[in-house]
Amino acid sequence: MAAQIVDGFLMLLHPVTFLYLIGGFLLGLLFGAIPGLTATLAIALLLPFTFSMDVADALVMVAGIYMAGLYAGSITGITLNIPGAPSGAITTVDGHALMKRGEGAQALGMSAFASTIGGLTGVVILIALAKPVSSVALLFQTPDKFSLVLLAIVTVTIVSQGSLLKSATAMAIGLMIATVGIDPMLPEGRFDFGSYNLIEGVNLLPAVIGLFAVCELIAQAGMPARLSQAQAVADLPAPRRRDFLPSRARIREVGLFAMLRSSVLGVLIGMLPGGGASMASFIAYAEAKRSAKKPEEFGKGSYEGLSASEAANNGVCGGAIIPLLTMGIPGDAVTAIIFGVLLLHGLVPGPTLLSDNFMVVSPMFAALFVASLLIFVSVLLFGPVYLRLSRINRGVLYAFIGMISMVGVYASTFSIFQMWVALAIGVLAMLLRVCGYPVVPALMGVILGPYFEEFLRRSLIVSKGDPSIFVTSPISLVLLLLTLGFIWMLRIGPARKAKAGA
Amino acid sequence: MSTSSSPRSARQILFALLLLAGNTVYASQILQMSRPFATGEPGPSFLPSLLCGFVYVAVVCILGAELRKPAAAAEGSDHVPRVGLLGPVLAIALTAGFILGFFYVGYLPAAFVYTALIAGCFNFEENGKLRRAALIGVATGLCVTLFGWLFFVQLFDLYLPLWEF
Repeated sequence: MAAQIVDGFLMLLHPVTFLYLIGGFLLGLLFGAIPGLTATLAIALLLPFTFSMDVADALVMVAGIYMAGLYAGSITGITLNIPGAPSGAITTVDGHALMKRGEGAQALGMSAFASTIGGLTGVVILIALAKPVSSVALLFQTPDKFSLVLLAIVTVTIVSQGSLLKSATAMAIGLMIATVGIDPMLPEGRFDFGSYNLIEGVNLLPAVIGLFAVCELIAQAGMPARLSQAQAVADLPAPRRRDFLPSRARIREVGLFAMLRSSVLGVLIGMLPGGGASMASFIAYAEAKRSAKKPEEFGKGSYEGLSASEAANNGVCGGAIIPLLTMGIPGDAVTAIIFGVLLLHGLVPGPTLLSDNFMVVSPMFAALFVASLLIFVSVLLFGPVYLRLSRINRGVLYAFIGMISMVGVYASTFSIFQMWVALAIGVLAMLLRVCGYPVVPALMGVILGPYFEEFLRRSLIVSKGDPSIFVTSPISLVLLLLTLGFIWMLRIGPARKAKAGA
Repeated sequence: MSTSSSPRSARQILFALLLLAGNTVYASQILQMSRPFATGEPGPSFLPSLLCGFVYVAVVCILGAELRKPAAAAEGSDHVPRVGLLGPVLAIALTAGFILGFFYVGYLPAAFVYTALIAGCFNFEENGKLRRAALIGVATGLCVTLFGWLFFVQLFDLYLPLWEF
């Protein structure tokens, strides 16, 4: 197997294959960084073109898009407070706070460094532990999956800044938005008010666009130019490329072990169907806050928080591919499309794929590894360009964001109605922001809502309505105890300390 | 415009009332579904009922807390009075206009007008010079519209409505 992995790396030395990797990587950067466009969309658009490509080249290109797309969501998140992809949402909180503090270059550098660590960790685990680890993931039963989603929902709610009640309300609003449309278990519409448009529900993309891009456009329109962060950033001296290199002191402050722990968490969550980069980044962020040296800085510009979420969301990349290749189970939209790429070329993902066609797949492993390294190279090459995003004329920038976001919604759904949905959610998000309700829990509610409801109802159906099913399953029990632990450590404990100190 | 947890203002209370109204509309739909365990299983109304109940309790608590806070001050602009209200209303109206225009007159004219007006408004607020803002708006409109067409239609061969009646 080691020889085949080496062969995979050697294949990347072929100029055409390497160009596919670079092309895919740049496409992933572009799609991941532009709000409204995602790596999923890029791979979906690429799918028809893979017909005419060699399967190894197609997989190499897809790997480049996937790795770059997961990372690039944080670029516009840090510079403009608009995550290019949902997985960059939590990075945005600390990254943009650092940007406003004039530490944009270091924030981008640390984000890329952590993403590289996460990506490399994911690939190493993918190569080394593919089969045994995916077998463990398959042990998760429905109540366990519910408890995992609950853990994500609770942690996202409690790590948000400000009022816990407002954060929980925002989460509930997100979950309510997710209930619109066809019931996940019965063929009946809900909250559709008789409209056939509403029966299809609220797609994820318009929700993300509304919550971040449209909301940001509206918020900026109400902010006097002299108060915008663009002026503060423009006053800073132009950064040199070496400013994007995280200093050794800063890496020591965050801790390589902490980054590795977040990466492993990302890999483990990536292996679970429905896990995904968003959930991984949120859970890793909460775990990092729990064990941080300076938890009070989380949400206000913490390098530890930034690194945790970025390492985890790129760790997902390797993790998500494990069950796909070994068991034929795609865990998210991107791996589902990779499943399609393999099928188009006559390869059936599953236990026999690695034993019979490892040579075909090994360049993809190598491509994921190299793409992880390219992330760090990319910030050194393009970092100054990323930072200039916040210096360009606000009018030009928000005209561009408004157009590309709304047309991006149309391009991915071919529905004018979904454009209205994006606008409506944008207005709602703006009202939430103005009134001090955090927007990120609402987004997570929209993303996790369908899984949350399905796993909850399936579990209760199996147990005939008995909720003790969630504590009789050992994995579920551990996850619930972990949830309670997070609540204690992140909310109750600090509140009691503050009360005692007062 | 403040985005953090802010002192009490009329909008905080109004928004809480708006949430209560929206929640009531949501609740009215739940009442049209079968009860959660009517068939012995948690049906489609199970989670919505829990969420709806939670939002009622949470928003009432938030309202109570908001009413006990001190009042807030408003933010102004150098060139546009009440930009905190006018700006968002204009941005929402322009985006709504873009969606309508996109559907009725196609991508090119809708995107040009939308991006030109957005860029123009931002620049007018910043420097107060109408002529300069208009010029930047028109130039931005042309460039962004052309970029969008090249990107979506030419590069990725996606369908965008183009001047269809």
